[in-house]
Amino acid sequence: MARSPEQVAAQAAERPTVPAVPQPATAASQLQAADRLIALTRAAGSESRADPAVQALALAVAANLPVLLWGQPGIGKSSTLVQLARGLALPLETVIASVHDPSDFAGLPIIGADPASQGVAMAPPDWAVRLHRAGSGLLFLDEISSAPPAVQAALLRVVLERQVGSLRLPASVRIVAAANPAGSAADGWQLAPPLANRFVHLAWVHDPDVVVRGLGGVWPHVPLPQLDPAKLERSVARARAAICAFLTVRPDYTHRMPATAAARAGAWPSPRTWEMAMRLLAFGYAAGAGTGAGANTEAADHTTTEAVALAVRGAVGDGAGLEFLAFLERQDLPDPETVLADPDHADLPERGDLVHATLAAVVDAVARTTTRERWESAWTLIARLAATVPVDLLAAPAMQLATLREPAWDLPAQLDGLTALEALLAWSE
Amino acid sequence: MSATTTVSTLKIPTPAVMAGPSRLTARPAGLPAPWEGQPAKAAASQAAHHEADRAERRDRAQAAADLDTPKLLAARHLAVTTCPYLAVALHAIAVVPTYAVPTMGVDRHWRCYVNPAFVRAHPVRELAGVWLHEVSHLVRDHHTRARRLTEASARHEAAGRPGSAPLDPDNPRREQVRLNIAMDLEINDDLFESLRGPDKPRTLHRRSKTDDADDANDTTPRLPEGALTPSRLRIANCDLFEQYLHHVTPTMVADHWTDCGSGAHDGPVPWEDDAAGAHPLGPHEAAAIRISVRDAIAAGRGTAPSGWQRWAEHYGKAPQDWRTLLGAAFRTSLGAAGGAGDYTYRRPNRRTASLGGRLVLPGLHRPLPQVAVVIDTSGSVSDMDLGSALTEVAAITRALGVTGRNVAVYTCDAAVQTAQNVCRAEELTLVGGGGTDLREGIRAAMTRQPRPDVTVVLTDGGTPWPEEQSGCRVVAGIFASHRSLTRFGSDGTFIDCRPPEWIETVYLE
Repeated sequence: MARSPEQVAAQAAERPTVPAVPQPATAASQLQAADRLIALTRAAGSESRADPAVQALALAVAANLPVLLWGQPGIGKSSTLVQLARGLALPLETVIASVHDPSDFAGLPIIGADPASQGVAMAPPDWAVRLHRAGSGLLFLDEISSAPPAVQAALLRVVLERQVGSLRLPASVRIVAAANPAGSAADGWQLAPPLANRFVHLAWVHDPDVVVRGLGGVWPHVPLPQLDPAKLERSVARARAAICAFLTVRPDYTHRMPATAAARAGAWPSPRTWEMAMRLLAFGYAAGAGTGAGANTEAADHTTTEAVALAVRGAVGDGAGLEFLAFLERQDLPDPETVLADPDHADLPERGDLVHATLAAVVDAVARTTTRERWESAWTLIARLAATVPVDLLAAPAMQLATLREPAWDLPAQLDGLTALEALLAWSE
Repeated sequence: MSATTTVSTLKIPTPAVMAGPSRLTARPAGLPAPWEGQPAKAAASQAAHHEADRAERRDRAQAAADLDTPKLLAARHLAVTTCPYLAVALHAIAVVPTYAVPTMGVDRHWRCYVNPAFVRAHPVRELAGVWLHEVSHLVRDHHTRARRLTEASARHEAAGRPGSAPLDPDNPRREQVRLNIAMDLEINDDLFESLRGPDKPRTLHRRSKTDDADDANDTTPRLPEGALTPSRLRIANCDLFEQYLHHVTPTMVADHWTDCGSGAHDGPVPWEDDAAGAHPLGPHEAAAIRISVRDAIAAGRGTAPSGWQRWAEHYGKAPQDWRTLLGAAFRTSLGAAGGAGDYTYRRPNRRTASLGGRLVLPGLHRPLPQVAVVIDTSGSVSDMDLGSALTEVAAITRALGVTGRNVAVYTCDAAVQTAQNVCRAEELTLVGGGGTDLREGIRAAMTRQPRPDVTVVLTDGGTPWPEEQSGCRVVAGIFASHRSLTRFGSDGTFIDCRPPEWIETVYLE
């Protein structure tokens, strides 16, 4: 997808068709011309782009989980949010957390006529009222790492319970926050662990290619995940099963607070973040990620799978997230008995190591219960794979399968298709 | 044109049969370019682009036709049987035949670019050695580590920290080769150990005919002639390429040009596809594969060489810049100690006026925290290390507005040498150079008026620590590894120089 700057510039140069500006005579008309010029430099189109980080953001926002974007100042976090809000057709409220008082998030006490019987109302700020009135919206909390600890503490309830003073924001309000990594902004505070644990953390880096396209006039737009209504129940069941299976095997990952202060300010596994990961995974499955073992290895699916992986890692942290995803990959291999039942049409993974693992499981299954049908079925599978995968993957399973042969059995007919395997074994001698 | 049709229209027998079209030929189906449909101005550059594209496709098709696939895959099979713990990683790699690559190289999407001529010219066992070498680049995540090092070097330069950065950001091409050499050394020192075995010494000089005859029965993989090893470059064995990098001089770059692709050094490489090419492996898939490799090594399948075992133990514990860790510990302490402040009625809330004066709210009073820094000047810590740690602490305190008389610095060896109020690290004089007992320095810091809220201790660790908990938060930065602080003395007693638990400790290695 790399494009030269000239192409981008050429494309941008063609788009605007603007009527001629009248001759600037007065100061007012000069200013008008300046404003028009500014408007022209701002005009930009958008294109969809397979970027896992952007998709992970869209996925978490769709799943209504608070997202925290970590990135250097000036790399376009805010402009991405503007795009996102436009794409979702939601009103965007931006609040710079670092310039606010704790009472702006906890509410300002207002005494009514009879405080003793009616209590004191905690008045919410105007942005919260606007969001409440709209019924939905996108709340963008910028620079929360620069907010002092007292303000961060006040933000806890906003982020998790959507409670601003006496006002509860509607459940459909999405929350996205942004922070500068402590290393880049020396005046930042460390994010408090309780606040950090309520977010899906996404690292936001600038891609030079995206910047070139954007300055040429085309920014990437943030596509919402396409959920398949037929798959909703199954997706939830699958996500639940996956997480329960993993935490049964690795209970030590249920709750693990990191040792260093730097890591505690990021994502780490806790029951709350596992629940977030479960929701992300369910959304990912419903959007078509990790249909994995099938033949559909479309580029879009691949990106969705990467996006789900990024989001899950952002929820439970890199250590737990990667272990979980590796576990999931091995768990999602096709069942050897299903493959043996229909070796010609069974769904098989595409990646070499997964093919090899599936094949090894199939040969194991044949070795456990050896019948002629199963044995020949396994040969059919090998012959089918010989046409599509590098043949060295088949060498070890084929040799193991050959040793299982009973003297009375004929040589399998499928051996004719395996000349490549013989060529390989000839080199190995 | 899709990869499959490339193969079938050219009537090439080998790839379709030997390896199949799915992961062995590379160019993806022609993706519709976003600028298509407005042919006027982009046409010229587009035509040039297409011409280059066609030439590349011709090269790929020719290379796919010429590649001796069974030989290359037999080599991979041999590599898998020799090092079963790398099986998952080796099987996950997709092969791209091309004449553009000099030998073999990998990219960061786990694709291996192979020159058919190179395959023809080398025996299977040497190809197996190269397979193991290239997969090691990917499993050891060299490209991520290279990127991290490059970024750290750029930050180092920008911040003007003392000492020179490991990489020179102004010289990317040269540094790319330096990185590659250091990475090759990291891999090959182990690879030789594991492949040759201790009982089969092999000269590094040109082998004679008789040697080859001796080797005839030996089918273990080996590296081709001329592979870089530490002994060949007269460098002591190290563990990681980051350590080797110190020994790789710019002159070596001229003598030993080597390029294992972006999967190693993370730099740009002319023959590689981008992420949109065929069969890329995403970062999370790669991480899952690394975890499988780690588990295989831990399970003891195959006898992994010690270098791989060390890698498996440390995988997942990415080394972090100690500046980040020290900064985080210090900021957390500052935030918890002085920064949070308290509510007080001595100063009414600035919102009181807007409430019509009917309600008096307490104001948030945030006094600036008092910071004390105790520095070990016992002579075992280098000025360079001390300087860079102190710069870090000074930058954070200054950024939070803590300056002047709120910061006190004590230099201490066996006794307190100086106590100074400073706000810039450059203003500080370091005096000392005897034995070490920082308890004196910490005690002096605690008895100061006003009392410090946070005390930072910078030391090499050879010091006793105070017995009872002091009244303020203490952050210790120790210029040593975690393990080196515990040892057994000559009389068998266990000596533990680690700070007690109430001290937030960061090891500055």
